[in-house]
Amino acid sequence: MSEILLSLGQVLSFMLLIAAAIASVELYLWAHFKYHDKNSIFYACALLFTMFAAFILKAAGFLTANAFLLFLLFEIFLIFASKKLLKGKKYLPYLLSAPAFLGLAALLMYPFIFQIYLSFHDLKLTTIMQWKETGSIPFAGFKQYLAVFTVPPLAEAGFFKLLWRTLGWTFINVFFHVLGGLTLALMLSEITRLKGVYRTLLVIPWAMPQVVAVLAMRGEFHSQYGFVNVMIKKALDIFPWLASLGVAPVNWLSDYPLLTCIIINIWLGIPFMTVIILGGLQSISKSYYDAAEIDGAGYFQKLFYITMPLIKPVLMPAVTLGTVWTFNNINVIYLVTGQAGGTEQADILVSALYKAAFTYNRYSYSAAFAMVIFLILFAISISYSKIFSERKEGKI
Amino acid sequence: MASVTFKNIVKKYNENLILDNVSLEIKDHEFVVVVGPSGCGKTTLLRLLAGLEEITSGDIEIDNIRVNDLPPSKREIAMVFQDYALYPHMTVRENMSFALKLRRFSREEIDKRVNEAAAILQLENLLDRMPRQLSGGQRQRVAIGRAIVRKPKVFLFDEPLSNLDAKLREEMRVEIAKLYQKLNSTIVYVTHDQVEAMTLAGRIVVMNKGIVQQNGTPLDVYRKPQNSFVAGFIGSPTMNFMDGKIVSEKDFFYFQNKDVKIFIPSFVFPEAQDYAGREVTLGVRPDDIILDSAKMDHANKLSATVEVIELLGHRENIYLRLGEQRILAVGEAFGELSPNARAEFSLNYKNLHIFDALTKKRINP
Amino acid sequence: MKVNRKLIKQILLHSGLIIAAIICVYPLSRIFTVSIRPGDRIVSTDLALIPDGATFISYLKLLKETYFLRWLFNSLVITVSTSFIGVSLASTAAYAFSRFEFFGKRSAMIMLLATQMIPAGMLILPLFLMIMKLNLMNTYLGMIIAYSVSSLPFSIWILKGYYDTIPKSLEEAAMVDGTGHIGAFWRVILPLSTPALSIAFLFNFTAAWNEYLVARVVLFSSKQYTWTLGLFELQGQFITQWGMFAAGSMLVTIPVLAVFLYSSKWLVSGLTLGSVKG
Repeated sequence: MSEILLSLGQVLSFMLLIAAAIASVELYLWAHFKYHDKNSIFYACALLFTMFAAFILKAAGFLTANAFLLFLLFEIFLIFASKKLLKGKKYLPYLLSAPAFLGLAALLMYPFIFQIYLSFHDLKLTTIMQWKETGSIPFAGFKQYLAVFTVPPLAEAGFFKLLWRTLGWTFINVFFHVLGGLTLALMLSEITRLKGVYRTLLVIPWAMPQVVAVLAMRGEFHSQYGFVNVMIKKALDIFPWLASLGVAPVNWLSDYPLLTCIIINIWLGIPFMTVIILGGLQSISKSYYDAAEIDGAGYFQKLFYITMPLIKPVLMPAVTLGTVWTFNNINVIYLVTGQAGGTEQADILVSALYKAAFTYNRYSYSAAFAMVIFLILFAISISYSKIFSERKEGKI
Repeated sequence: MASVTFKNIVKKYNENLILDNVSLEIKDHEFVVVVGPSGCGKTTLLRLLAGLEEITSGDIEIDNIRVNDLPPSKREIAMVFQDYALYPHMTVRENMSFALKLRRFSREEIDKRVNEAAAILQLENLLDRMPRQLSGGQRQRVAIGRAIVRKPKVFLFDEPLSNLDAKLREEMRVEIAKLYQKLNSTIVYVTHDQVEAMTLAGRIVVMNKGIVQQNGTPLDVYRKPQNSFVAGFIGSPTMNFMDGKIVSEKDFFYFQNKDVKIFIPSFVFPEAQDYAGREVTLGVRPDDIILDSAKMDHANKLSATVEVIELLGHRENIYLRLGEQRILAVGEAFGELSPNARAEFSLNYKNLHIFDALTKKRINP
Repeated sequence: MKVNRKLIKQILLHSGLIIAAIICVYPLSRIFTVSIRPGDRIVSTDLALIPDGATFISYLKLLKETYFLRWLFNSLVITVSTSFIGVSLASTAAYAFSRFEFFGKRSAMIMLLATQMIPAGMLILPLFLMIMKLNLMNTYLGMIIAYSVSSLPFSIWILKGYYDTIPKSLEEAAMVDGTGHIGAFWRVILPLSTPALSIAFLFNFTAAWNEYLVARVVLFSSKQYTWTLGLFELQGQFITQWGMFAAGSMLVTIPVLAVFLYSSKWLVSGLTLGSVKG
C-alpha cells in the first residue's frame, strides 16, 4: 500500500513539476511580449527561466557544462530570433501553443534526434553502464548502418529477407482489408433491416483491446485445443475423404507462424475499413444511382462507374493510413510469437527491430535499423502523395 | 451614458484599406445609425469601438477618455451581435447575468436588474429556458436584454435584425424604437437596411468604401443627399438618375441629354450659370414625378411611353421610357395609365438633386 | 417474380453477414466460455457456448491469486494521468490554431502531421533509454512520460476541427461582457467543447489503456505491470492459467467495448477528418 502511495505521490509531484514548467514558460512569454519595452522585467524573467531550466536539467541528471552552454546559446538565439520575427505581433497564440509544442519537442523530436545520434555511436549491453554513468558512448560512424545490411538483426533472417517479408505482409494485409471491408460495406448498404446490429457486431474485433483480441485469436490456433484444428478434425470425422486431399490438423503457431499472423491481422483490420467505406457509401447521393439506372446500368456497372470513383476520396487516405499502420504493426506479430523461445519466422522489419533492441539489447544497431526503416517508409509515403497529387491534377 | 469620438480612424488588413480616415462624433443620448452596403467598413467601425479589432491609426474616445488600448471588457460598452451570440450552455437568466457576475455584483443587484430587463422585454417566462429552445425573435430579445442589464455607457448593435424574417423585423424595429425612448442612452447601430436607418436613427451616418459619405438627420440625408451614392442608397424605391449637361437658353437653364430636356428653375440651382455646359447627374425620386395633370407644370411637361406597371396594392410603380432613358414613377393604384400608352409628367422642382458628374458631389443647395 | 428475387437477395445477404458477424464475435464468445469453465476442464475441445458445470471459479482465482486488481489500478493511474496531460495540452494549442493567425502557424501544423509519419515503434528505443537515464524504470512516471504526447497531434486536430465550428462571436460577446481572451476561452469555449474534449480524452485513454510494447520494456516487476502485460504473462503459460486469462480478458474487454461502441461514430469521423485534411 505504501509503495502505491509513494508512486502516486511521485505522479502528483510530476504533474506539479509540469505545471510549474508551463507556468514559467508562460510567464516568460507573457513578459517577453507584453512588456517588450520594459527590459528589466523581461531580463528578470529570462533569468528565472534559465534558472528553472538548470534546475530541471539538474534534477533529471542531464546537467553538464556542455548541456548548459547549449541551452544558454539556445536561449540567446530564442530571444533574438523571437524579438526580430515577432515584433509587435500578438503573444497569445504562443502562450497557448507553447506547452504542447514543448511537450512534443521533448518527447517526440528529442527522442528522434537522440535516435539519430545513437545510430552513429556504439551503444550495446557492454557499453550501456558506461553511458549511464558518464554519458559518453564510443563513436562508430557509419559502422552501424553497414551492419544493418550485413549482420542479421535476428538469429534467422537478414535485412533483405525481412524487407521482402514486410512488403508481402503489408500488401496481402491491406489488399484483404480493402476487399473484405468493401464486400461487407456493400452488403451492409444493401440490406434493409438490422443494419445497426450487424454494424455493431462487425466492429467488435476493432473495438476489443488489441492485446485481448490477438491473444484470444492466438488461442484459437493452438494445435490441440484451438478452434481451427478442432474444426478440421471434426470435418475429417464427417468427410473422411478430405484427408486424401491433404487436409489435416496443422501446428499453426510453430509451422506456419506468418500465415497465422496474417490471418489474425486480416481479421483485426477489416472492421476499420468496413466502417470507413460504409461512411463513404452513405455519403453518395442516391440520385446518381437513379440516374445510372435510367441510363440502363447494371449492378457491376454502377459499382465500377459510380461507387468506386465516388468513395475514392474516403478510401485513399484510409488505404495510406492502413499501409503505414500495417507496415508498422509490431503488436500482432510480437503478441503471437514474442513469448520466450518464440519463433522468428514471422518477423517483419519493425518487430525484428523491437526484438533486436529489447531481446538482443543491440541498441545502436537498432537505432540505425530504425532510421533505415524510417527512410523506407518516408519514401513510400512520398510516392503515395505524389500519386495522389498527380491524380488530383489530372482530374481537374 | 456617454459621448463617443472617432478621430481620424484608419484600419488596414495587411494592405487592404478598410477605413480611410474616419472622424465622427456621437453625442450623449444619441441614436446613431451607421448604414452602408456590405463591405463598406461599418461593422469594422463598430468592432473597433468595441475593442474587438485593433486600430491601425487614430483615436477612439468614450466620454473623452482614450480607449485605444483598453480591452473590450474595460470599455463599458454592451453589444448585440448579428447572430445574437447567446451562450448555448447557459440559460437565459445566466446569459443575462453573466456580465454582472464577472463584475462581482451582489446577487440581489443581479436579480433586480435581470428581472427589470426581463420585464421590459417580456422575457419573464423564458428566463429558465436554454437559447436553443427559443425562437429567433426571442433570442433577439435575450441578446438585447443581456446588453441592457449592464447599463453600459454605449450600446452597440451589429445588424441585429438581419437574421429575422420580414414581419418579425418590423416588430423588433418598433421594439427597439420603444426601448430607446425608455433608456434614452447612447446607441450606435449598424445596418445595411436603409429603412431601419430612416426609422430608428436620430442621426444617420452613410458609409461607403471606408469613407463617411454623409452624416446628418434622416430627413437631411433623404432631402439633401450630399453625393450621388447617398442619394441612390437612401430611399425606396431608388432615385432616378439621368446623365446630361446644363444648357442655357435665353435666360433659362435646362438639363439636357439626347432623350430629355428638363427645365431647371433658378431657385433650384442658383449657380447654374457656373455649370453651364458641364456634365452633371440629375436625380429625381419616384415620388417627385408628378403625373397628376392638376399639379403638373404644363409649360415644361415631358412626355414618355409607359413600359411596365407594377401593382403594389395601394400604389403602383410605373416605368416610363424616354428614348433610352428609363424613369420610375409612383402613382395611385388603378390610375388611368396602361402599358404602351403615352404619359405626360413634370418634376417636383423643390426636390431636384443635381450632382457633379465627375466628383459625384451635390451642387445645388 | 420480382418480389421473390428481392427476397432471395436479402436472405443471401443476411446469411453472409451472419457468418461474418459470427467470425467477428466468435473469439470473444470463446473467451467467455473458457472463463466460466470449471477448473478441471479449462482446456478442452468442447465448443459449447455455456459449458457443463459453468462456474465463476476462474474469476475468483484471478482476483485472489494474481495481482489483477493491482494491474488494473496501475493501468488506470497511468492512463488517466496521460490522458489528462494530453488533453489539457491539446486543448489550448488547438485553440491557438483555430482562432489566431500567427507567425509559424502553417509550419507548426505541417509538423504536427509529419509527426504522425514517425512510426510509433521507432521511438520506443530512445524513450526507453531516456527513461532509464532518468532512473524512472518500472515506475508510473516513466510510463506517463512515454505516453503523454503520443496522441497529442491527433487530439489537436480533433479539437481544432471542433473549435472551428464554434462561432467567433461567442467569445467576442464574452469579451464585451467583461472577460479577457483567456477568460472567454475558459468560460465559453471549453464548456461548449465538452463533446470534443471527451472524444479526445477517450482516444488518449484507449491508446494508453491498450498499449503493450512500451510497458513491456519499461515495467519489469509483476506488481507494477499494467493489465496488458499481466494478461500476456498469464496467457504465456497456456495450459495452466488459460482460465484466468479468459476471466481477466472478459473483465477488461466489456467496459472498453461499451465505451468504444458508444464513441465509435465520432472516432471514425475524427480519423477521416485528420487524414483527409492531410
